[in-house]
Amino acid sequence: MNLLNYVPGNSFLHRLNPITKLAAAFLYGIACILCDSIWMELAFIVLMIAICAAAGLGTRALRLTRNLLILGLFMFVLQLFFVRTGEALVTIGHFVLITTGGLTSALLLSLRVVATMLPLMLLFAITPMNDLCNALVKKAHLPYRYAFIITTAFRFVPLFSTEFHEIQDAQKARGVDFETKNILRKMQLVAPLCVPLLVSSLEKVNSSAISAEMRGFHLRSRQSGYKEYPFTGSDLLVFVLLLALVAFSAVFL
Amino acid sequence: MIRFEHVSFGYPHGETTIEDLSFHIKKGDFIALIGANGAGKSTVSRLCNGLLRPLSGHIYLDGQDTLTTPTSLLARKVGFLFQNPDRQICENTVEAEIAFSMKVQGWPDDEIRKRVATALETFDLKGDWFPFNRSRGERQRIALAGVLACEPQLLILDEPTTGLDYLECIHIMDHIRMLNEEKNITVLMVSHDMELVQDYAKRVLVLRDGKLLGDGPVKEIMKQEALLRQARVLPAQIPSLALAFGDRFAEVFTIREMHEAILSEKKGDPGRKL
Amino acid sequence: MIVADHVTFQYADSSDPALKDISLKIGDRDFIGITGTSGAGKSTLAMALNGVIPHEFKGDFYGSVKIDGMDTVEHQVEDFCRKVGEVFQDIDSQMVASVVEDEILFGLENFGVSHEEIGARLEKALDDLGIAELRTREISSLSGGQKQKVAIAAILALEPQILVLDEPTGELDPESSREIFGLLRKLNEEKGITIVIVEQKIKLLCEYVKRLVVLDKGSLVFDDVPGEVITHIDMFKTLGINVPPVAELSHLLRLDGLWNGGITLTVTEAEKMVREVLHDPV
Repeated sequence: MNLLNYVPGNSFLHRLNPITKLAAAFLYGIACILCDSIWMELAFIVLMIAICAAAGLGTRALRLTRNLLILGLFMFVLQLFFVRTGEALVTIGHFVLITTGGLTSALLLSLRVVATMLPLMLLFAITPMNDLCNALVKKAHLPYRYAFIITTAFRFVPLFSTEFHEIQDAQKARGVDFETKNILRKMQLVAPLCVPLLVSSLEKVNSSAISAEMRGFHLRSRQSGYKEYPFTGSDLLVFVLLLALVAFSAVFL
Repeated sequence: MIRFEHVSFGYPHGETTIEDLSFHIKKGDFIALIGANGAGKSTVSRLCNGLLRPLSGHIYLDGQDTLTTPTSLLARKVGFLFQNPDRQICENTVEAEIAFSMKVQGWPDDEIRKRVATALETFDLKGDWFPFNRSRGERQRIALAGVLACEPQLLILDEPTTGLDYLECIHIMDHIRMLNEEKNITVLMVSHDMELVQDYAKRVLVLRDGKLLGDGPVKEIMKQEALLRQARVLPAQIPSLALAFGDRFAEVFTIREMHEAILSEKKGDPGRKL
Repeated sequence: MIVADHVTFQYADSSDPALKDISLKIGDRDFIGITGTSGAGKSTLAMALNGVIPHEFKGDFYGSVKIDGMDTVEHQVEDFCRKVGEVFQDIDSQMVASVVEDEILFGLENFGVSHEEIGARLEKALDDLGIAELRTREISSLSGGQKQKVAIAAILALEPQILVLDEPTGELDPESSREIFGLLRKLNEEKGITIVIVEQKIKLLCEYVKRLVVLDKGSLVFDDVPGEVITHIDMFKTLGINVPPVAELSHLLRLDGLWNGGITLTVTEAEKMVREVLHDPV
């Protein structure tokens, strides 16, 4: 299941201007970065999940949190052994393995990673890429060429993933044993699959480019976009709330 | 050769579902699996070699339950030719490509060399070709050569002739028929092309929405227009034409038979002599 | 509308020309099928007719193609892409958006259709293809036939005079393929759009197109109405192109002297022929 695809809906989150959504996700992330309290980072995560749940995206938020926690765990372990401040917590003979400073900073960092990434990841659930890019072109004056590259890249991810599975199936059918538990062996087996994947990707990208050009890609200007993305009162409200949150986090946490 | 017993299958996203499907294919048969897109043809073919496994029920390949046998072992018995050869080809030379399956399956080196040489000759290929810039028809032949070099007992063809022209199609299908008749290889072919089914298959399984709608000798199935319509399949032209005349051309199945039937009617009727 | 004059084209990485001295006139309201074995140059011809060649592919181009008088070598793709739309075989990669309406808006926006008009054009294109209910659907959730209709709608919204399709039914089942051909016939008859379609499915071509062009190794072999082209059944066999079984039957009956009507292209026509041959009451 793809955790980055768009979930159609009409909740208060969905209805916001795409630019507001993007800015809000960043501001929320900044607030999390500025915050220096383990408990408040936890609170940020819970708050984000609660907001999503209210918009009917609870399951998506929880599954993303779970996946991000795996990343967080990795950061946690690194940080745990890296930071040597504070008192010794675990020692082996004379060697200090873990310190109190290491433990707190590892906890803070890993939670911060989760709290910062979560809103950015959830952005994809409530914003179709096309809308985001069109709004950026219209309101933020992003050159269309870049917007198009971004949307195309996102559109191709599921296509390539399907293609990869088909290729893997074709190889399985020939007797390649992908069911092996040995990771090195598995990587060895997957490497040759890159050739057919590359061949088909190049073809797809090429025909996509021709198709776009045949439909006047080069004629496009900033005003071309048909859909309008007006800012409303609720967009303003979200901006104000998040700026307040950032200020609060910077001053008090 | 292969037996489906009350097999059910569904994808997590709930697309095609196979429901309580049971059938048996005996060794040496030539089966066509027909139906509209989404009827479950590809799913059934992928269930045969363990690429997919049933959610309930059992599939026995030569007595082995596919639920408990790894795909890599099933692959030694089942050859699978995909619609798109490009998903299969991953080596830089035709020679290495044909040898690939045999290497993976652990065949002895001298045996592999021998078989590659035979395959190159049979399929009119050159060992040092770079497979990726050959034509679609040649790439499909390369893929087939690789599959057949392992001497599978069951050969599954998933829309093998898509994108091929008539000559390439005949070339590949005639070779497969020869293997079926002379080496008793069982063939399961998924196809939309009823003329192809009519020309090559012995028995036809008709699928609709994951259920078996019909199962019988090709001549019988091709004459059941209502059944084919229900399965959203376009019937072959000659059987369809013969049906328009009721019982009069009941025995007619091919162009030649239709032609002869018309001639004999003309002769048999003194008032309307040739 | 499109005039190809002695066109020869050789891809930069190839040692043989893909098209050899092809001259072809495509008029208003034509419905032309292009067929031939693989490697005969069908796709290359389609791309030469709409100017993709020589602009997007490197190679040597001789002769000329004029779209409404504009020479494709002298003008840029932007100039004639308003007149000629193209639908490709690879259904997924020709899309540029993830939602149906965005896909159709893309070209309309690019061509600077006024924002007052754009909504109406969008709805009309959806209606013409009978896919109004798909408007807000994710393209990835559609069936192959539906996707191909979206692709055609996206081109149709631009109101081209000519529609070039390169094996648009290659990945579709027979029923969806017929549906696409049916739609094309409707567009051709009701809206007067010229259709040029590359296709291997000879039965569909025989049933739907008004004119059939047959290529062999880059050269033009036949260019006539299907009923006339198919009479050369023996030639078709040497070229390696099959003909509909009913056409072959009528050919046999003609050789016997039992039938002196035309080659039959569909089962319905063949039934009429057989009844006539057998002197059946209709």
